[in-house]
Amino acid sequence: MIIPMVRVRIMGPRERLPDALAIIQDQGVLHLAAPLEAGLLHRNAFTAAEDRRRRQLLRILADIDAVLPEANGKPEPQPGATAGECARWARLARRVHRGLAETDHQAAELEEELALLRRYQGFFAVFESLLQAGPARPGFSAFHIVLRADQRVALPVLRRELEALLGGACEIMTRELAGGETAVLLLVPTSRATTVEQLLAQTRVQEVPVPSGYGPTLLEAIPRMRSRAEAIPPELALVRRKRSELLAAQGPTLTQARRALHDRLDRMEAHALAAVTPHTFVLDGWLPVGTETKLSRALELALGPGLVLEVIERAQWKAEDAPVVLRNPRLFRPFELLTGMLPLPRYGTIDPTPYVAVFFPMFFGLILGDVGYGVLVGLLALVLHRRSAPGSTLRSVAEVAGPCALFAIVFGVMFGEYFGDLGHRWLGLDPLWIDRGTAVVPFLVLTLALGLVHVTLGLVLGVVVGARHGARQAVGRGLSALMVALIAVAVLALLEVLPRAVLTPAVVGLLIGFPILILLEGVVAAVELMSAVGHVLSYARIMALGTASVMLAIVANRLSGAMGSAVVGALFALLFHLVNFGLGLFSPTIHALRLHYVEFFGTFYSPGGTPYQPFGHWAPRARTL
Amino acid sequence: MSILWVTLSAALAIAIPALATAWAQSRIGAAAAATLAEKPQLSTTVIILVAIPETMVILGFVVSILILLRGQAG
Repeated sequence: MIIPMVRVRIMGPRERLPDALAIIQDQGVLHLAAPLEAGLLHRNAFTAAEDRRRRQLLRILADIDAVLPEANGKPEPQPGATAGECARWARLARRVHRGLAETDHQAAELEEELALLRRYQGFFAVFESLLQAGPARPGFSAFHIVLRADQRVALPVLRRELEALLGGACEIMTRELAGGETAVLLLVPTSRATTVEQLLAQTRVQEVPVPSGYGPTLLEAIPRMRSRAEAIPPELALVRRKRSELLAAQGPTLTQARRALHDRLDRMEAHALAAVTPHTFVLDGWLPVGTETKLSRALELALGPGLVLEVIERAQWKAEDAPVVLRNPRLFRPFELLTGMLPLPRYGTIDPTPYVAVFFPMFFGLILGDVGYGVLVGLLALVLHRRSAPGSTLRSVAEVAGPCALFAIVFGVMFGEYFGDLGHRWLGLDPLWIDRGTAVVPFLVLTLALGLVHVTLGLVLGVVVGARHGARQAVGRGLSALMVALIAVAVLALLEVLPRAVLTPAVVGLLIGFPILILLEGVVAAVELMSAVGHVLSYARIMALGTASVMLAIVANRLSGAMGSAVVGALFALLFHLVNFGLGLFSPTIHALRLHYVEFFGTFYSPGGTPYQPFGHWAPRARTL
Repeated sequence: MSILWVTLSAALAIAIPALATAWAQSRIGAAAAATLAEKPQLSTTVIILVAIPETMVILGFVVSILILLRGQAG
């Protein structure tokens, strides 16, 4: 539900505004509204000095944010930050920022060097054995080449070309590498090195360069690189320890500074939202109903009777201006995740979360409708629940998946589906209600009836919302709901599901109601009525997806018998069931959501509410899933 | 009615909406990918928009099944 709000106005002597803001911030319940500008009252805009100060505080905060890791926390009152403290925090933040940047840079360089050495290590280990195996040849230059698997054909060509170029004055040694590459060591007379380089370039064979800084030859470089690779990890650990020590030493001070600076900046913003005269201030805002007495008492207790908190009459404010906060019972709260994907509903309209909490798992269960798959969804929900933090998105997903699994199991028992027809074939378990595989038409009628109930409920909710905005709108919506019901009655009478006698009254009712609807809501009402009927038909997707799901499961079971080998058949069946389960998670979710967002919400949901953001103490919020 | 006409009608009843849905989703999907690149917060709207043309193929599937059942009965 949307929590009822009350609009309040706080007035007092202008010099008490900072104290009043401090008390209001401590209470953390008032959502500040745009200032009232009338007569002598004008907006308490920032002076040039205040604006300069604000920008200065934002810069310090940016430095601190860059240093401190993300974390979650609760709002805590902080002592007001003095100018001296702010200057000290600014210096500290800059110093820690510089220190961390330095250690991060060192760590990045070391990691990069280590990665390079590890990349070369395999190659050079082979070359080392080649170099040590080969005779020391004074006056010879060495070329180190690595040929990819697809370049191996170049080796005989290279050998032939070198023979033709140098005669017998060269030596070629090769070793296979683990990745299918070939390491080649080429020893040629130094006087012919340039010619060989050109030949290598022509044959598009690349030499592996010796990393700089480890010695002129590969034989000298390899042991140095190896010892360097061993020395880097302890150096890296030292740099990381230095970083964490710096954060541990200065983190608490900076965390406190961040809170104090945020609080101070919020107070400055709130200061600018006050309307003032030369001697008084006026603050307008919104409070959840029932908290106005507490705030009034806190102000009176701290600042004496000079301040007035006045509740503004309901007739003097518009519903769309009030901020919105949703509060639902514990059982329904996880479903706020689904309604939260759309913009907040406007104040004075209806929070659809309780309806989503009832219908979403039902639609999901009707589409999946299999005990085996339902148990798997339940297990997934359990794992997610165990591995997620309270209040996180993953926890909400787990708590939504739980009821969905329960409905899938319940409908699975009713439809007699246990991984498709396995329950029937192995244990002789029959449907308690209908068999979705064969009773296609009854299942279609069931889903359309469900659609009729859901869309009509949406229209009735539209009547409730409309009644809050004007009788004419409410009558229009009510008439639409009635006409959808009459169309359903007429269709059922035509199909002889209902007695034929009700057909004429239903048609007469439609003929009378239609012009009234056009008169009340205009020509667009006719289009809306047709779209409402279309929305009911759209619920046929529950039957279509459900039938497709059970057919896929049956095909998976038949596959096991169709294969020659029982093991291969079982593996195929398992794979097919896995694919069907994947589809069974994704498809019902998307379509149940769509039925809510398009068909159901379209009849009454009014988005565009302003979120309730009370002026209080700042609390860190980490971006967590 | 000949079994050929029944099966052909059922096949067409799902094939034509399936092609229409595929075409519509390809256009919406491309636009959706471009939208999400600029405004990731619109992901819910985009999912709904991509799912909207599926109604055609789903209703095609329903009609196709009804044709088959009617064919069997006839």
